[in-house]
Amino acid sequence: MKKILAITLSILMLFTITACGNGGSGSTNVGSADISADNTVTPPPDSDGAELSGTIVVWCWDPTYNIFAMDEAAKIYREINPNFDIEVVDMPMDEIQTTLITTAASGTLNNLPDIFLLPDYAFQKNVIQFPEMFFDITDSGIPFHEFASSAVANSVVDGRNYGVSFGAGTTIFAVRTDYLTEAGFTVDDFTDITWGQFIELGKVVLEKTGRPMISTSSGGDFISFMLQSAGASLFHADGTPNIANNSTLHDAINTYLELINTGVLLQVNNWDEYTTSFISGAVTGTISGCWIIGSMQTAQDQSGNWAVTNMPRLDIPGGTNYSNFGGSSWAISSNSENAALAIDFLKHTFAGSVEFYENILESSGALPTWLPAGTSNIYMEPQPFFGGQAIFTDIVGYTEHIPAIITGEFWSEVSVAVTNAVVNILGGADITVALQEAEDTVIFQMGR
Amino acid sequence: MHIPNSHATRKPFLSLERKRSLSGWAFLSVAACLIIWLNFYPMVRGFIIALHTGAGANMTLSNPIYRNFARLFEDPQFRQTVSTTFLYLIVQVPIMLVLALILASMLNQPSLKGKAIFRTAIFLPCAVGLVAYALIFRQMFAHDGLINSVLIGIGVFETGHNWLNSVWSARLVIIIGLLWRWTGFATVLYLAGLQNIDRSIYEAAKIDGAGIFQQFWKITIPLLSPIILLTAIMSTNGTLQLFDESMNLTGGRPGMSTMTMSHYIYQTAFVHSPNLSYASAMSFAIFIFVAVLALIQIKVGDKR
Repeated sequence: MKKILAITLSILMLFTITACGNGGSGSTNVGSADISADNTVTPPPDSDGAELSGTIVVWCWDPTYNIFAMDEAAKIYREINPNFDIEVVDMPMDEIQTTLITTAASGTLNNLPDIFLLPDYAFQKNVIQFPEMFFDITDSGIPFHEFASSAVANSVVDGRNYGVSFGAGTTIFAVRTDYLTEAGFTVDDFTDITWGQFIELGKVVLEKTGRPMISTSSGGDFISFMLQSAGASLFHADGTPNIANNSTLHDAINTYLELINTGVLLQVNNWDEYTTSFISGAVTGTISGCWIIGSMQTAQDQSGNWAVTNMPRLDIPGGTNYSNFGGSSWAISSNSENAALAIDFLKHTFAGSVEFYENILESSGALPTWLPAGTSNIYMEPQPFFGGQAIFTDIVGYTEHIPAIITGEFWSEVSVAVTNAVVNILGGADITVALQEAEDTVIFQMGR
Repeated sequence: MHIPNSHATRKPFLSLERKRSLSGWAFLSVAACLIIWLNFYPMVRGFIIALHTGAGANMTLSNPIYRNFARLFEDPQFRQTVSTTFLYLIVQVPIMLVLALILASMLNQPSLKGKAIFRTAIFLPCAVGLVAYALIFRQMFAHDGLINSVLIGIGVFETGHNWLNSVWSARLVIIIGLLWRWTGFATVLYLAGLQNIDRSIYEAAKIDGAGIFQQFWKITIPLLSPIILLTAIMSTNGTLQLFDESMNLTGGRPGMSTMTMSHYIYQTAFVHSPNLSYASAMSFAIFIFVAVLALIQIKVGDKR
């Protein structure tokens, strides 16, 4: 009797497990069916915004920055369209990327949300690899010409727009004015200068105060925003890598080596060490994306001792004092049943509301790549933390001048190969040989 | 004579023996189904993906079909990660096994006081999460971290060494981390093995005049050899699949000089322009490495 019971039980278990497997996928189908049922009322894209209704599902990361901005945008849009609801899912950047890849591989596109956020350096790669996932918003009426051209360029593939830029990554040189005074300088001495001048001034500061000028945890990032400041890309227009014979890259690497060899640049190992280095006063300042000001403002005792200026330029034709590091863009998924609503929502908030950018500025420090926002009075207010400087107007002013570059499909491959080459060069390898190796590696990786 | 008679006429469909065997199979079938579904099916799928090229909905059979496997031999970065991983293997596994043997024999001394405390202390690192310990090591070996402060304090360095930013010291830190994390595990296995060795063998050897080292070489090692083999295979397998330390402790930096094979697979599949099929081919390469090394170890180590 016991044995029969045992057999029955184990067979039952087996069936339960199989049933669970089926049940899982079954319930997902039910879920997506619900959504589409909701959306049968959705009017076509060109109809008036007020008639649209539904719930938009959004994937993005960082509760104090992107998620906060999305919630604020929803508040603004609900005043125009009360039939609108939003569900923001907190999903780390890496996880969004992983989910896109596995979703594409399994072909279950209805798992995608209506809107998702992608970092700018990975945007084109995803559009090229998974064109079936992205909604073409070129003709949606979103005013792309009102954005900084370098920011829009990140989400353009073959002349078509797939993303709405959010969160400027404009590079700034943020610096402790009290340390500069100690060395006998002012911020103006560091404004609109070349890297050569920066190194000379940096040597003096190092000698007088014992502090390196800046620090970095990744040589690759440093070199890539140096390149962008001169409008140089690591790719030719036809998509082939431009590494071995890229004279701008040679200049950038040589500058980087000189920064290290003179001790003006302090190399640290990871992000935490990096932020600690400028908050603790181990270095004089930092060059990074403008979102870095959020990190320094945690040290309220240093209020009034900071200033912001532009970064040094490479001393070559086309070299500018403006570049970009970081930033991201909203994409609309091709599978979205609410695409029309999602477009209308973005159009009236991220691409059309000065009020929205005013609302998010103070809490998140997110700066717009949508240039009309820069005219707001709030941006012109002096910031006590930065000694009364109106840094937001200044930074929006820099944003406009950033040269646009191609990131392409193989950005990550190229930056890893170049970073690896820089490590080899620091270890004594010849720059020409190391860069040729890097180019060969990338060509190999591109040849699928 | 009624009962035996009826027994003869109504012979049960299932004999006791068959019933037992069937219920055994029924229990096994659950586990077997789960293993097939969760282990073997993904492996077969992985192999099929490795024969393809492209991404997402645009996967096509590669041409020639073994193309992703052929690429393995041409990939300089894969070669770099393979040699880094084997470096970890060749340096770390022998040191760890010898250390574990020494620790285990010390802990097995009957005269040792406070055994429980020592055993716990040596095993505790194994109870620490891989990511947690990697992050703590990263902080300890930071430029302004504990290790540098101590070394400057006792006068070894003047300004401190940037451990994780130079190729060889970063690799050294990973090896030290691995030793710290895994030696305790092997020690516990050896201890269990040592406790199965009869103390009277040692006593007899002592009476015959064998010293401590002779006892160790002639008694402990031979009687422990099955466990040594087990730990050797397990640690070889674990080191070849090393991921957490490479990802969290050094991030593969500087450059790619501390990156392991598994980390490179992750990078190929999820960080770079996604190439799932090539990543699958690489994971089969690791599978072959592990299988071949385990086979050699079994052939060499198992004398039964």
